[in-house]
Amino acid sequence: MSQPWARAAAAGADRERIAATPHSFGVDVWLRFAKKPTALAGLIAVLLLLACALIGPSLSPYSYDKQTLSLAGVPPVFTAVVAPEAGRYFYITPNQKIIEVDDQGRLLRQLPMAQDLFMEKRVSYRCGPQDEGLVYLDYSAAKPALLDEAGNPLAATRVLWNRTYLLGTDHLGRDILTRLMYGAQISLMVAFIAAAVNMVIGTLYGGIAGYLGGRVDAIMMRVVDIISTIPLTLYVILIKVCLAGGLVGIIVALSSVYWVDMARVVRGQVLSLKQQEFVLAARTIGSGTRRILLTHLIPNAMGSILVTATMLIPSAIFMEAFMSFIGIGIAPPMASLGTMCNDATEALRSSPYQLFLPALIICLIMFAFNFVGDGLRDSLDPQLKR
Amino acid sequence: MSETPLLQIENLTQHFPVRGRGHKVVHAVDGVSFAIGRGRTLGLVGESGCGKSTCARSIIRIYEPTSGHVRLDGQDITRLSQKQLLPLRRKMQMIFQDPYASLNGRMTVRALIGEPLRAHGAAESRRDEEDRILRMLEKVGLTREHAGRYPHEFSGGQRQRVGIARALILRPELVICDEPISALDVSIQAQIVNMLRDFQQELGLSYLFIAHDLSMVRYISDEVGVMYMGQLVEHSPAEDIYAHPLHPYTQGLLASIPVPDPSLARLQDEEGLSGDLPSPIDPPPGCRFHTRCPHATGCCREEAPALRNVGGGHAVACHLV
Repeated sequence: MSQPWARAAAAGADRERIAATPHSFGVDVWLRFAKKPTALAGLIAVLLLLACALIGPSLSPYSYDKQTLSLAGVPPVFTAVVAPEAGRYFYITPNQKIIEVDDQGRLLRQLPMAQDLFMEKRVSYRCGPQDEGLVYLDYSAAKPALLDEAGNPLAATRVLWNRTYLLGTDHLGRDILTRLMYGAQISLMVAFIAAAVNMVIGTLYGGIAGYLGGRVDAIMMRVVDIISTIPLTLYVILIKVCLAGGLVGIIVALSSVYWVDMARVVRGQVLSLKQQEFVLAARTIGSGTRRILLTHLIPNAMGSILVTATMLIPSAIFMEAFMSFIGIGIAPPMASLGTMCNDATEALRSSPYQLFLPALIICLIMFAFNFVGDGLRDSLDPQLKR
Repeated sequence: MSETPLLQIENLTQHFPVRGRGHKVVHAVDGVSFAIGRGRTLGLVGESGCGKSTCARSIIRIYEPTSGHVRLDGQDITRLSQKQLLPLRRKMQMIFQDPYASLNGRMTVRALIGEPLRAHGAAESRRDEEDRILRMLEKVGLTREHAGRYPHEFSGGQRQRVGIARALILRPELVICDEPISALDVSIQAQIVNMLRDFQQELGLSYLFIAHDLSMVRYISDEVGVMYMGQLVEHSPAEDIYAHPLHPYTQGLLASIPVPDPSLARLQDEEGLSGDLPSPIDPPPGCRFHTRCPHATGCCREEAPALRNVGGGHAVACHLV
């Protein structure tokens, strides 16, 4: 007869076995991170942007400052007029120059002007392989129209992709794609350096203030209060004015200001963590302040540190773009997303793509980092695993 | 006892200032004295908030005692700086109440148990460290494969074993157990207490064993101290306190132990404890227990009773005994 209440047979060693396979902390974090589609998408976007920013410029045939004034202001996609000559198209630029385009969308040349017939409100341009033909640009109506040699309008049009400059050219005829890659490079560099510097300064400062407490904490946090009461933008601008222009100035300015938020977050975390029993246990064991701070407090505060840092990256990127936009950031001709936006405002109505593209990249970078930060926060907390 | 006791506490007092209330203080521990001999166990009991844990934390210098002396092995450690204290910490370790909160969730069991070795530079080499960690793990009833695990993968009892391994790896002489079993379920409590007893026999440890429950203390302790509102109200050899509890508070505590068989309820006719603890900021004058004592007299309200010996190592602080 079977015994319904017989003891389950378990050898001594088996009883204490844990069934799950062991993972290191890093692997665990990665597995949880990869489960989140938004976080993964953010990470892929960040990596792609990084690859574009680092490798892209060396693959591009153009440099960030090479101007081709004759081909300025051509968008990535445009509507061209079919020319009388077969396989040739004419594109009228916003400032009423005529650019000859082949059927693949390659920009060939700007047509040389023959005569300005201002009484008839038209301009004649030479065209054809040996400049033997003529076309007229009629600007009497709101929308300029092309006329052939006999004066009949060239009505047929075709939409073409710009093959010479994939994302078009700006108002000085520089390749926007190349400039975007340089701009992203600067943005990401500013972001990573500023975030790293702020993380180190803020974490140590906040950690020390929180752990030592008392008078040290009071004095250290008053310094933070003073720094944070000065409007951040004003402060960054002042630092920028004092320091030499360029990239280094921006990084120094951002690094010396943004750590205050990090210091506050870390201090708050440390204040609550240091009363936890595991920290008391470390003290009774005899671990020193350094060890307690570095192995107990900061790793446990890492979740909020990373979240704060990834929230800080977009705001640092935005601040760099903003400073470049108002003209105290990256000096021309170097490309930055901010200076590109600024350049584009002049021709906003006729060439909106010049503003849209850098703004899109700024948005992409900020979104990507926000998603990554979100995913990191969730995956760094092992308590959520259950 | 002719030799110096391992741990001797004299008039230990721990007050905490109260913020925003002028110069008022919380009287967490008020003039507690006791001694623990080598290889012996003192059980310290009392209800929540009576100052047992604070007492333990003042001894091991998590808190800076307001006044009084703590002597470890005859050496006064009360006013040593943390740096001077460091070598002495090897002799004195602590097991914490909450096995969930007392282990850092970001460290593996190997790192947790190895921390004391690293803090004191006790291991001769990496291999020696690893060896000692693994041996300790097996001693507390875990296996080698647990070394790479994180605390959240363990049950409460297993975590407490990790806590014990961490406290014992430096081979201390005194282990302060701050309610090591109250967070565990009953079936595990006995395992842990038995393990602590085995270690005591094997290593000659002394324990300061804190609990809020007299029944488990009885099993492990040589002597028992009862605390009420920061003061020691009764202190005697373990069996004596169960057979002849003298202080009305001790009697109340004993009466509150549930009895498995109601027909054997020997103390149920005695009164249990009623009423709440008075505020430790303004402790009642006289005997601190008089607000809840069924036998209180006028004398109890005015004069604080001293702890006095009534024979056989049994001391009690009550006017009526």
